[in-house]
Amino acid sequence: MSRFVIIATMVFGLALSAAGSAQAADAKQMFDFYCAQCHGVNGDGKGVNVGKDFATDPRNFTIAADMEKRSDEDIRGVIKDGGPSISKSPLMPPWGATLSAAEVDGLLAHIRQLCKCKAK
Amino acid sequence: MRLLAVTVSLGAALLVMTTANSYAAGGDAIFKKSCASCHYTDGPAKEKTIADQLAKKGPELFYAGSKFQKAWLAAWLQNPKPIRPMKYNSLTEKNKGDHPKSSAGDAAALTDFLMGLTSPEVKAGVIKPAESPQAKAIFNKKMPCTGCHEFSLKGELHGGKSGPSLVGVSKRLNPDWIYAYLANIKVFKPVRDMPDFSSALSPKEMENVAAYLATFE
Ligand code: HEC
Ligand code: HEC
Repeated sequence: MSRFVIIATMVFGLALSAAGSAQAADAKQMFDFYCAQCHGVNGDGKGVNVGKDFATDPRNFTIAADMEKRSDEDIRGVIKDGGPSISKSPLMPPWGATLSAAEVDGLLAHIRQLCKCKAK
Repeated sequence: MRLLAVTVSLGAALLVMTTANSYAAGGDAIFKKSCASCHYTDGPAKEKTIADQLAKKGPELFYAGSKFQKAWLAAWLQNPKPIRPMKYNSLTEKNKGDHPKSSAGDAAALTDFLMGLTSPEVKAGVIKPAESPQAKAIFNKKMPCTGCHEFSLKGELHGGKSGPSLVGVSKRLNPDWIYAYLANIKVFKPVRDMPDFSSALSPKEMENVAAYLATFE
């Protein structure tokens, strides 16, 4: 393998990882803007809205044991159609008219990063 | 005696001149000088991305004349108490209540200017303040409104803090604007952390909710 190919491969790899992290940053920005109000910037369910009147604790995304029980389809659905779509609290709003399918996918990926888990 | 007369008339002349001066400046000129660094008044809405929204230092005012009640606006500009519990665009810092204050004369001129900024999206005279069982159920139970908005119940504060407080909406907001906002939120705020409810509520439900919010003390 010539030196050129090695360098070219390295540059390409760098460009790829940069693109990857730009996407991750977008999902984090969306999470902080839309979701952190209730789920908290760290995803632990301690957002600014959660006070004495908040009837149901917002999901803590950092607990893998809970998040493994949710399929990706359930998570996408609850983001789009709100809590009642999976018999959970109406305090979780329906975001389907606000977010595109790609944006919902980005948030799902971010949530899976927060729990460091997959659906079981 | 003579000196006193001269001093008094000079003083009076000065007084007349300064008041004349502040009345002479139109609301749009005052706005350009003191307000335009944080608020824009030329629609349509400019924000396309979350970054655009986060870069704003204050809410857009291009439809202020359709959104606010005139008497509230004139009073608030002189004594601006916090509307959002949190600092604008922040979920961590409290609103310090440090909005610039205007003199009575400036506030009157600014109010005239802002009340002239109306939106064709808002139909006038349709929504009348009214409570209904349907609207109460939607606001308090079926939909997540109280999760993000503060409201007053028998003089006690309840609800979340990320959205503007809904305490005193009956005096602050135009009921017709509330309906237009719920029905067509993207026209007013294309990027915002309140969900678009146009697919979750029917037009009739949105009318009832708007009428209900318009009764909030
Ligand atoms: C340093 C930035 C800044 C300046 C300068 C400023 N404002 Fe504001 N304005 C804000 C912020 C931030 C809010 C939100 C305040 C709140 O929620 O309590 C606001 C809110 C308002 C509102 C209510 C808008 C809404 O949708 O709730 C009006 C009306 C308003 N300002 C008018 C003015 C006028 C008139 C001036 C000039 C005299 C002015 N502002 C100067 C930042 C600014
Ligand atoms: C996830 C949080 C959230 C939920 C849920 C929510 N809102 Fe909001 N609401 C906001 C935010 C944030 C704003 C301010 C948006 C902006 O100015 O950028 C807002 C603005 C408003 C305003 C305009 C207030 C003003 O002074 O500008 C009204 C009226 C309103 N919401 C009513 C409702 C109603 C009715 C519901 C339930 C059907 C609801 N909201 C649900 C967060 C929320």
